[in-house]
Amino acid sequence: MPDLPELNPIIHGKLRLALLSLLAGVEEADFVWLRGKTGSTDGNLGAQLARLEEAGYVRVQKKFVKRKPKTLYRMTDAGRQALAEYIQALKQLLGAAIGN
Amino acid sequence: MQNETTTRDLKDRLALIEAMIAEGRRTTESWGWAFVLWGAAFYIAIAWATWGHTARAWPVTMAAAVVVTVVLASIKTRHEAETTLGRAVGSVWLALGISIFLLFISLGVAGKLTDPHLFIAVTSGMLGMANAASALILRWKVQFGCAIIWWAAAVAGCFGTESQSTIVFLTAIFICQIVFGVYGMVCEHRAKSHRGTAHA
Repeated sequence: MPDLPELNPIIHGKLRLALLSLLAGVEEADFVWLRGKTGSTDGNLGAQLARLEEAGYVRVQKKFVKRKPKTLYRMTDAGRQALAEYIQALKQLLGAAIGN
Repeated sequence: MQNETTTRDLKDRLALIEAMIAEGRRTTESWGWAFVLWGAAFYIAIAWATWGHTARAWPVTMAAAVVVTVVLASIKTRHEAETTLGRAVGSVWLALGISIFLLFISLGVAGKLTDPHLFIAVTSGMLGMANAASALILRWKVQFGCAIIWWAAAVAGCFGTESQSTIVFLTAIFICQIVFGVYGMVCEHRAKSHRGTAHA
């Protein structure tokens, strides 16, 4: 029986997984947009995004638009790679689970 | 960790990934209001030019529509994510706006915009092109239907009588701007009501 893959614990968190998946479909997104799409609270969202940033999966850019601060998030190549590997592992695990 | 993970949980996560990627890409339906706005602007300009008998009707109405579009768009897209698809579709409409503006201002100033057939054919042809490009980018059959209607209006503008061409043009505005715009807004409303939440 082949070894089952490990699921990346950083991506495995449901909100972090949702955030990476959202960012995979866009070039960049601001904090308010991500909050609206995930239905998360400011505190939780900020904490999960910080974790993704620490892991190098997300890049943050802060700028002012019409004198208002705007925080933009963009997925990095490492984040894209990690999400692809996570999906692959997920499919393998599902295949194994259905096979059993 | 994997021992605790059930098959259902794995499936849920896969579904979450698919839903969120689709959600991120969904940006286009939120432009339904712009179609309705421009449809109304066309009707106002046509009515004003017909019954007001003034050459200012079209440039003033179109300029006002541009200002309203820019203001509303900046408000509505303030917190929108940027996508490649969104930028591609936006570029098509921006290029159309610039082309129509330059062409009709030049034709008007040169005094060569006296034939209504020319106006209807060129406007409809250009709108057909923009709708078709947008529909092909988005793979949106309904919008491609609008493109076909605009192209039909362009052909009618070349071969029909003045009244026939005008009727076809007014009908195309109603279907492709007002009805299609309302349809877009209904899609957006439906999509919003189906959105869930993802908590850690």
